[in-house]
Amino acid sequence: MDSVDEKVVAVILVAGPSKGTRFRPLSFNTPEPLFPLAGQPMVHHHISACKKIPNLVQVFLIGYYDEREFALYCSSVSNELKVPVRYLKEDKPHGSAGSLYYFRDRIMEETPSHIFLLNFDVCCNFPLPEMLEAHKAYGGIGTLLVIKVSAESASLFGELVADPTSQEVLHYTEKPETFVSNLINCGIYVFTPNIFSVIHEVYRLREEKAYTRHVPNYESQQFAIRSLPTDFVRLDQDILSPLAGKKQLYTYETTEFWEQIKTPGMSIKCSALYLSRFRSTSPHLLASGDGNRSASVVGDVYVHPSARVHPTAKIGPNVSISANVRIAPGVRLKNCIVLDDVEIMENAVVVNAIVGWKSSLGRWSRVQANGDYDTKLGITILGESVTVEDEVVVINSIVLPNKVLNLSMQEEIIL
Amino acid sequence: MKALILVGGFGTRLRPLTLSVPKPLVDFANKPMILHQIEALKAIGVTEVVLAINYQPEVMLNFLKDFETKLEIKITCSQETEPLGTAGPLALARDKLIDKSGEPFFVLNSDVISEYPLKEMIEFHKSHGGEASIMVTKVDEPSKYGVVVTEESTGKVERFVEKPKLFVGNKINAGIYLLNPSVLDRIQLRPTSIEKEVFPEIAAKGKLYAMVLPGFWMDIGQPRDYITGLRLYLDSLRKKASPKLASGTHIIGNVLVDESAKIGEGCLIGPDVAIGPDCVVEPGVRLSCCTVMRGVRIKKHACISSSIIGWHSTVGQWARVENMTILGEDVHVCDEIYSNGGVVLPHKEIKSSILKPEIVM
Repeated sequence: MDSVDEKVVAVILVAGPSKGTRFRPLSFNTPEPLFPLAGQPMVHHHISACKKIPNLVQVFLIGYYDEREFALYCSSVSNELKVPVRYLKEDKPHGSAGSLYYFRDRIMEETPSHIFLLNFDVCCNFPLPEMLEAHKAYGGIGTLLVIKVSAESASLFGELVADPTSQEVLHYTEKPETFVSNLINCGIYVFTPNIFSVIHEVYRLREEKAYTRHVPNYESQQFAIRSLPTDFVRLDQDILSPLAGKKQLYTYETTEFWEQIKTPGMSIKCSALYLSRFRSTSPHLLASGDGNRSASVVGDVYVHPSARVHPTAKIGPNVSISANVRIAPGVRLKNCIVLDDVEIMENAVVVNAIVGWKSSLGRWSRVQANGDYDTKLGITILGESVTVEDEVVVINSIVLPNKVLNLSMQEEIIL
Repeated sequence: MKALILVGGFGTRLRPLTLSVPKPLVDFANKPMILHQIEALKAIGVTEVVLAINYQPEVMLNFLKDFETKLEIKITCSQETEPLGTAGPLALARDKLIDKSGEPFFVLNSDVISEYPLKEMIEFHKSHGGEASIMVTKVDEPSKYGVVVTEESTGKVERFVEKPKLFVGNKINAGIYLLNPSVLDRIQLRPTSIEKEVFPEIAAKGKLYAMVLPGFWMDIGQPRDYITGLRLYLDSLRKKASPKLASGTHIIGNVLVDESAKIGEGCLIGPDVAIGPDCVVEPGVRLSCCTVMRGVRIKKHACISSSIIGWHSTVGQWARVENMTILGEDVHVCDEIYSNGGVVLPHKEIKSSILKPEIVM
């Protein structure tokens, strides 16, 4: 079973622009999967974790963004992490299983024995080698990463019921209205190549139904109501749900952190989780300083090597500072993400906010929010090239790119 | 004769429409905004138009090639690498504006919609023999703008007063100028304001004259003024008895309908409506004071007023859309939804009602 020839391929589903409207205004500039968390693009954390899988030979990013959006990133990450990372563009969304199936020939190029499938918008510890070992022991078609959450939040995700001894998936249901289980699907899976036959079977059955459509049945009506094209196959509802209870699907439970990044505000929360993880995996990435030769650092902070931070500034906890940022004397940054080329002038304060690329914050300006990740305006977001003039206060607001703010505001969306 | 159109920047006030195209290409009365101006310039014999832009030149240039051939007028772009204000762009385009003829050149502000009495302006300019002519327009609330104080009989400009607290006059700068080439010698290639620096200098020498703009004027750079501007524009078409206005039992007041648009039975359209190319208005629809852009489908029994429906959007059956609702490109309002002033960014689906004015990102 543990032969040296057993190759592993990882596939990360990155979706496309239509899903990215939830990440506005930040997604006007950068596709959501490349937005930096803890100083590294969202999917970079996935790919770094994949590197720890023994015999990993290829990583594929599958989505329907334009190839140009991922070209630079793929070549730089392939170089940096020394593993081929390729972006495969779908002509249109095919659904999570449909996308996997659509590119099966590329994915099976090097005849891998196992295929990891990860959703780009999840943030977690990625215990991938452990998942693989567990999967091999179970001997099924697939193993899902799962986590226990509170009963209230469970309904936001896919809930499943697992056998406590065999870890088999007994039942799976997506975003149920009533409580089924507090064990949820993390959006990270490992499969054997048989998964393609399972998906193929679903397509075949649909074609058959389409043929015999002169007998309208409830299901074909359901399809029409949901108006999904027949080649749109979702992994969870269409593939995994039917496989539950058939000794094909298993679970691997993680007790570490897991979040889904659904809004720009959540990226601050997830940045914090990754920064704190750096303490054990890559402590050299975290900044330190006591205010003498370099700025005072509190808690976990990432500062890009090209950024300039004045020693009298106080940074942290949970701050990520990207490339070419200039932080002037007396600045206070807390729980925020500062993107490339931003200039923050003397004595400004930023708390619970994301400051967009090339923006500029004036002296004694204040950009803050109440830090509630679940509300629309709980994290203040400044888009690309926003200027906040001296002494202006911006609270719980979202500002689209290229605006100049010369008046203070609260609870506003500025187009 | 040459002309410069100040196109400027990001058009943020017209978002979400300007998230899809640069502002000059946003349709007004079924035609890109800037086409109204280019056509007016072509009509009085301008042979070359320079667009002073600093945002998305590629998109503009592609579009312009189309116009160039159709209108047989030369269109070039002068691109600012940094914002140069309202006068700087003239210095940047200097070489394109001056030729051996020594003729004056027009400068237009791209946000302005008006009758464009450019021929009359040329005659006015010749008759006073000054260095520069500007159009001024009468407004109700002059202190919102910069007021131009002129000598009643000659139109000679005495001074400019920015947002005056006390009443000094009710004429404001309409954003249409006719300048002698010598004006360019007064403008340096740096961020400069034509109203605050250049014109006061020329006025001090007694060489700046203002003509009162006959007919309507509107700065359509933001949605509320866009809708008012459409009313004024259609009204001026009516005054000219333009054949372009639609007629029929289902039409009230001034309505513009593109020939490729389809309107169903039992609809009531108007007043002050513009329906763009390839639109489909299904039976039983009520439209008033609104703009429906290219490719939009309005489904049965819907009711839309005082709103702008962006390109390729759809409005569902029995939906009610009103009170300055602005739908960006490709927005789909589901059946029976109510939108009271919703401002919706492109590529969204509206599945629940918007009860009070709100931005949907």
